[in-house]
Amino acid sequence: MEFDWAEEDLSYRSELQAFLAEELPGRWEGATAVLGSADNAEYSRRFAGLLAEKGWLTPHWPTEWGGTGATPWMLAVLGEELWSRGEPRGPQYMNVNWIGPSIMAHGTVEQCQRYLPPIAAGDVIWCQGFSEPEAGTDLASLQTRAVRDGDDYVVNGSKIWTSYGDIADHCYLLVRTDPRAERHRGISVLLMAMDSPGLVVRPIPGMVGEHSFTELFLTDVRIPVANRLGPENEGWNVVREALSFERVGAPRWARAALVLDETVRGALEQGRSIDPMAVEAVGLAKTACEAARVLCYRVIDERARDLPPSPHANVARVAMVQAERLVADACAAIEGNEIMRYGSDSDLQMRKSLAAGVAAGTYEVQLNLVSRRHLRLPKG
Amino acid sequence: MDFTLNAHQEAVLDAVGTLLSRHAGPARLHGLGGDEPGYDHDLDKRLAEAGFLDIAEPGSICRLDAALVLEAIAGSLASSAAGWRLLVVPTLGVDVDGPVAVVPEGHSGPARFAADADTLVVIGDDHVRLVRPDRGAARIRSRLGWPVGDLNGLPAGGVIHDAPVSEVRSWARVAVATEMVGAMQFALDITVQHVSDRRQFDRAIGSFQAVQHGLAECAVAVEGARWLALEAAFTGSAGTAAAALAQASEASKLIFRRTHQYHGAMGFTREYDLHLATLRLLALRSEAGSLGRPAAACAREHWGI
Repeated sequence: MEFDWAEEDLSYRSELQAFLAEELPGRWEGATAVLGSADNAEYSRRFAGLLAEKGWLTPHWPTEWGGTGATPWMLAVLGEELWSRGEPRGPQYMNVNWIGPSIMAHGTVEQCQRYLPPIAAGDVIWCQGFSEPEAGTDLASLQTRAVRDGDDYVVNGSKIWTSYGDIADHCYLLVRTDPRAERHRGISVLLMAMDSPGLVVRPIPGMVGEHSFTELFLTDVRIPVANRLGPENEGWNVVREALSFERVGAPRWARAALVLDETVRGALEQGRSIDPMAVEAVGLAKTACEAARVLCYRVIDERARDLPPSPHANVARVAMVQAERLVADACAAIEGNEIMRYGSDSDLQMRKSLAAGVAAGTYEVQLNLVSRRHLRLPKG
Repeated sequence: MDFTLNAHQEAVLDAVGTLLSRHAGPARLHGLGGDEPGYDHDLDKRLAEAGFLDIAEPGSICRLDAALVLEAIAGSLASSAAGWRLLVVPTLGVDVDGPVAVVPEGHSGPARFAADADTLVVIGDDHVRLVRPDRGAARIRSRLGWPVGDLNGLPAGGVIHDAPVSEVRSWARVAVATEMVGAMQFALDITVQHVSDRRQFDRAIGSFQAVQHGLAECAVAVEGARWLALEAAFTGSAGTAAAALAQASEASKLIFRRTHQYHGAMGFTREYDLHLATLRLLALRSEAGSLGRPAAACAREHWGI
């Protein structure tokens, strides 16, 4: 056991920081939406392209698909540095973190050749078609139906809470291909072009940003069978594996810690006093960010050793949600009435912290997994 | 970074675990008086003879092995000041033998080990003093699972010149955080066992989601405290030390309330072991407070506020 950074990770971090100091002095101004917003998507495309040129967009991918064989620790450094600047990759982190790797793991040669190079070049935006009006946390109850018709699936149904649905080029879509099978068994993954006829995208105004979410309506949308990822009816395993690596893929604690730091420094620079109650709140928030950091590091260490996904990822995710919430409390305690000013740190962090326990799997589901897998408590 | 034990650490923990399984643990604490125990001089002697109390290399900033040993000692509910000895004494730069008590400057009133200590380490804002409690502090009745003495003022003198005051305070924070982690894990483990065994309404009470979520949050809090304390013991970082203590203090509030709640009436019997761990947390939290309110101290270490 030891907690030193390896030399190569330290030098990678300083190289990255030098690049970012030039390209992105301070925090990315576009970092105003919790699930990442369509706002600034154009900047994200340009920025992802710059990263791609440096080999930093998909560093952990195998070299044959444009990676540099970077270690999980280097990927973690990259994630920390970018999230603590507001995640200028915008929607691209999803592609890079799990959609690409999922295609690599389960895709045909043709699918890899078609979809991976644009992701590695930063040219493309994906969205995920998971949740439905009646299938949120209980994702396996999804009803969007795909029926074989010759070389196509004909898809009908709707998806909701789809981030970037209005700007994405492709969708990683979960559909039901066998309605008679046990519910986890009849699901397949389809890779859908977002300009497919029969697909209508409706933005849902969110309280977090301007176009945080969209709803997708699919009416007789034809998707080639060749666009199915993995075996028919085995989609649940495909997506579960993909997402198990996503739980700590987004180091939200790094962004929360940055917001806390900026809010404290902002108050000090303006000569505002921070009363003892606010100091207490700041200390609790910083503590929670530190706990989330070290718990995420434990998961990255497991990944660096090629160990299978463990409940430590669920533990880390719970800690990250708590950190986001405590940072919101601390910002509100420091800023007082400033929370009434739209766009103030406390206003934004309050909004982000609301989504923290919902997006990418609810806090309660994470607690279920911690109690079952980590504490091994009996099933209900 | 490496979150797994290396071969040396495994061997050390294996050895101290064997010693503790024979000479510490809840049965031993019951024998010493349960929630009002005497000081376990016998255990200290055995730990010292086996070299565990001097495991921290003087001069080295890394005290990870010492923290790992302390976590095991604390988890066995030892009635010993090994925490101060393992993590604070090596920072003083002077030789100190025998049990130690650590108190803030000007302290008066109850302190762990004050009646048994050969040496008091007094931490002031800008100095550290070593004094002998020559008249001896009176043992007072305390039922929080530790031997407690009542200090009626502190003897003068004994200033250690050039003592690194803030480092001493940081290591005291790491020590208290690590002791809390040991006691919390003990309480959490027997609670998980209890709710898995205890059946009501034809099912284990640990299968109810209300209980599961409560314990899952406890587990996350304790894991955070453990890894922050270990990281702080490795790096010697003042900021991480303060965060570790704040995390442990917050976690101890959850652990105290919830482990007792999920035990029902069983949890407040003296025959049962739970209170031996949970009550200790209250004493440790009061000592954490005397090192500066933990959360506020964390804010101060990071921003000077």
